[in-house]
Amino acid sequence: MPPILPDFSNSVKLKYVKLGYQYLVNHFLTLALVPIMAGIFLEVLRIGPEELLNLWTSLHLDLVQILCSSFLIIFIATVYFMSKPRTIYLVDYACYKPPVTCRVPFSTFMEHSRLILSNNPKSVEFQMRILERSGLGEETCLPPAIHYIPPQPTMEAARGEAELVIFSAMDSLFEKTGLKPKDIDILIVNCSLFSPTPSLSAMVINKYKLRSNIRSFNLSGMGCSAGLISIDLARDLLQVHPNSNAVVVSTEIITPNYYQGKERAMLLPNCLFRMGGAAILLSNRRSERRRAKYRLVHVVRTHKGADDKAFRCVFEEEDREGKVGISLQKDLMAIAGEALKSNITTIGPLVLPASEQLLFLLTLIGRKIVNPKWKPYIPDFKQAFEHFCIHAGGRAVIDELQKNLQLSAEHCEASRMTLHRFGNTSSSSLWYELGYIEAKGRMRKGDRVWQIAFGSGFKCNSAVWKCNRTIKTAANDDGPWADCIERYPVHIPEVVKL
Amino acid sequence: MMKQNKSNRVAVRSKLTAVSSRPVNPGTIHSFTGLDHAMALHSVHVIFYYKEKLFSYFDLDPFRVCLSETLSLYPPVTGRIVRREVDGEWEVKCNDAGVRVVKATVATTLDEWLATADGAEERLLTAWYDMPHGDSSSWSPYRIQINEFEGGGVAIGLSCSHMQADPTCVTLLIKSWAETHRREPVVHPPSFDDLSNSPLTRGLNIHNTNTKSSRAYYEAKSMAAQTSLILKKMGTATFKFSNEVIKQSLLEIHQTCSVATPFDLLAALFWTRIARLKHPKSKSKHSLSICVDFRKKLLLSYGYYGNALHFSLLSLPDVEEKEDFRDVAEAVHYHVSSQGEGEFWSALDWFESRKEEGGQFGAPFRMYGPELTCMSMEHMVDFPGITGNKLLMNTAVFDKENRPVHVSYHVGNVEGEGLIMVMPALEGGLARMVTVTLPEEELEQLCQDEAISSFSSLNPIMVLSGTRRA
Repeated sequence: MPPILPDFSNSVKLKYVKLGYQYLVNHFLTLALVPIMAGIFLEVLRIGPEELLNLWTSLHLDLVQILCSSFLIIFIATVYFMSKPRTIYLVDYACYKPPVTCRVPFSTFMEHSRLILSNNPKSVEFQMRILERSGLGEETCLPPAIHYIPPQPTMEAARGEAELVIFSAMDSLFEKTGLKPKDIDILIVNCSLFSPTPSLSAMVINKYKLRSNIRSFNLSGMGCSAGLISIDLARDLLQVHPNSNAVVVSTEIITPNYYQGKERAMLLPNCLFRMGGAAILLSNRRSERRRAKYRLVHVVRTHKGADDKAFRCVFEEEDREGKVGISLQKDLMAIAGEALKSNITTIGPLVLPASEQLLFLLTLIGRKIVNPKWKPYIPDFKQAFEHFCIHAGGRAVIDELQKNLQLSAEHCEASRMTLHRFGNTSSSSLWYELGYIEAKGRMRKGDRVWQIAFGSGFKCNSAVWKCNRTIKTAANDDGPWADCIERYPVHIPEVVKL
Repeated sequence: MMKQNKSNRVAVRSKLTAVSSRPVNPGTIHSFTGLDHAMALHSVHVIFYYKEKLFSYFDLDPFRVCLSETLSLYPPVTGRIVRREVDGEWEVKCNDAGVRVVKATVATTLDEWLATADGAEERLLTAWYDMPHGDSSSWSPYRIQINEFEGGGVAIGLSCSHMQADPTCVTLLIKSWAETHRREPVVHPPSFDDLSNSPLTRGLNIHNTNTKSSRAYYEAKSMAAQTSLILKKMGTATFKFSNEVIKQSLLEIHQTCSVATPFDLLAALFWTRIARLKHPKSKSKHSLSICVDFRKKLLLSYGYYGNALHFSLLSLPDVEEKEDFRDVAEAVHYHVSSQGEGEFWSALDWFESRKEEGGQFGAPFRMYGPELTCMSMEHMVDFPGITGNKLLMNTAVFDKENRPVHVSYHVGNVEGEGLIMVMPALEGGLARMVTVTLPEEELEQLCQDEAISSFSSLNPIMVLSGTRRA
């Protein structure tokens, strides 16, 4: 019901009316067909089998007509099956778990900050306030080079981090899926801020001795939403190439991008970005349909780069001292909200049940014709999805989305707990969140998952997955959550006292 | 010229912070006892030398992972020393900040270093900065320095503020690290029990007439600290005495005093020889401050974290005239064995009361000094819980094929007459190592001293004594 009548919404009676309405509209076709079929069945029973046979012979069908009809049917069926897009299966994925030596407790982070920025107490104070409210925990990790005083972001260290994260994730993926390196047909690596020559995908090909006719891609500069962009690219490629495996590696290499200056807007990423990575195996092979975990249903990409403010809101530039950092503008949340609205306008019709779409249409017509003052109806996405993976970009992002989509705390739990345990691992955070839901044993067959990611540019990308088989949490599971899932969910205070 | 070249041999390459593997419970505090508080002016430095490399790439090596796991057992090691708001006393806020690790390279091989380096240079292997007077919240009370020699060879140097731990405690930390690296259970995990709240260990508070003497001694020390000493440049030399040498001398000495230990022997020997070198008119040469560990005597847990040292004074009016030091050895032995529970408890109580007074009165003072101090590490021999060679230092084995070849102990900010440390040598049994810190000129003379070099007609081996030779 339109939210202009909030008092009534709380009453139980209205809730049942709502449920009845949804059931009616969503199953309209079934409800319409059932009486018709019942009628035909009764009629057939009434007429009797001899009458039916008489009806059949009176049609005077000869062989040619029968053959033509069957060919027509076969032809239509073939065209239908040929033009249907291939099903993309997500066989499995592996997330990287950093070693304990890379852990960064709050006190260590603040101490390093005080020692390095000793001449800028205001900047240190700023970092402390950000860290207190960030929603991060004491177990997030930074790469080894950043533990030095001062940090040593050499290119060698950056390559070292890339090798550590990517190779560990890939080894884990090979073990989980039994995939052989020679069977990889498509390789896509995305890492936004570190782009050496030869590329990271070349590094992977070199390490695992992949085939010479592999189709490899390296996406850089595309921000935190690059993970879903890579999935989209893999999907398009898998439409063209039959019977193929695609491996997507999403990561963010922190070593070369740790800001060493004192501008506050640029110190923010230092407080939030942490080490992490994920490797995903996608396939369009029919043989994988039994053991695949998910099927890809939709990918929707929205780009707001045409708007200047959106374009500049996450910007990498030099500060006054010539040190390079990523500056985040203050209107980031507002722009994120706009991009989200744009994205859900596109994805809504694809995923929402008919009841919600009808309501939205009616409210839209009502606003245009009856009364422009009606509040726009926000469709209830909780009916379209069982699980939500919101990119753990920061506490503010998750709060904003929870408010905009009217999600409950349990829906946002995966995102908040991933932010607490792993920090903002950029494009791979969605996979850690999915891992959390699986580790908690909440993923059942048929559950739909919505992954939302934001990125610089400004982009908002969504992916919709459908769970293919109930995922049981194995006792010997060695995912990133294996040793700590019992402790979660934890209560994250508004402000942590440092 | 030679000295300048030498001082450039140790080059610090980088500094980082190592953290524990598990987060510390927020709000954990470690309080200091009165004794800990009093030791604040000094620092402890332990260096273990290994012949082979212990790790390949430090940042990701299991060596570092095991350090993180060991640090999880010791929350005060990764904490920071702050002043308590209530009464301004020091305490450790266990905030999980981590330990400073410094990596350095040495431009020479391990053997060359052991032969030619002297005490001052060896201190570069555990570079240390005293606690800053102002804001100490970013100052790491522990520092680990990993020194790599040319051609393999590693020296692990661990320094800490004496307020946090004594040399035994630091050795146990390295032992736990080594045990974790060998994937064995930690035999002596740290225990942070409050000393004053342990009625069981205290037993009956025995009031001896002697108890007054330990209090009086500490009182005198704190008074003496207020007069500043002429700071002389100190040098260090290490003498190694093999098993046979000590055995033979003990046989000789057992004719008069049947229960003398190697410590008594060596303390007496060095005291008599050093007393001769002092200025003829100085009174302090007749006094020897003997420092012992009281973990065993007070039935504390061996993993007790903190200071468990007791200083007591032995005076012999004509010690420099004794040709035969056997009487002195007997006196030392009697003095050490007469130190009982009553003494230790009364000293601890005195420190507690002093700490409670606070302010200027409760300030830490120079514990090692001003008179000649002699430190006993006999408790490290036959340390419980160790199989085989029961020497505590020998348990710092990270890799079964790579045992430590040498261990050095130093105490920072020793002023006054000097410090003699008598400790078990790594070969085990009765072998001992004596590290002597004295003003430069006296040290030179001591190294030439005939009595020491002709000790049982076998030359002691000198290591880490620079160019000095016995």
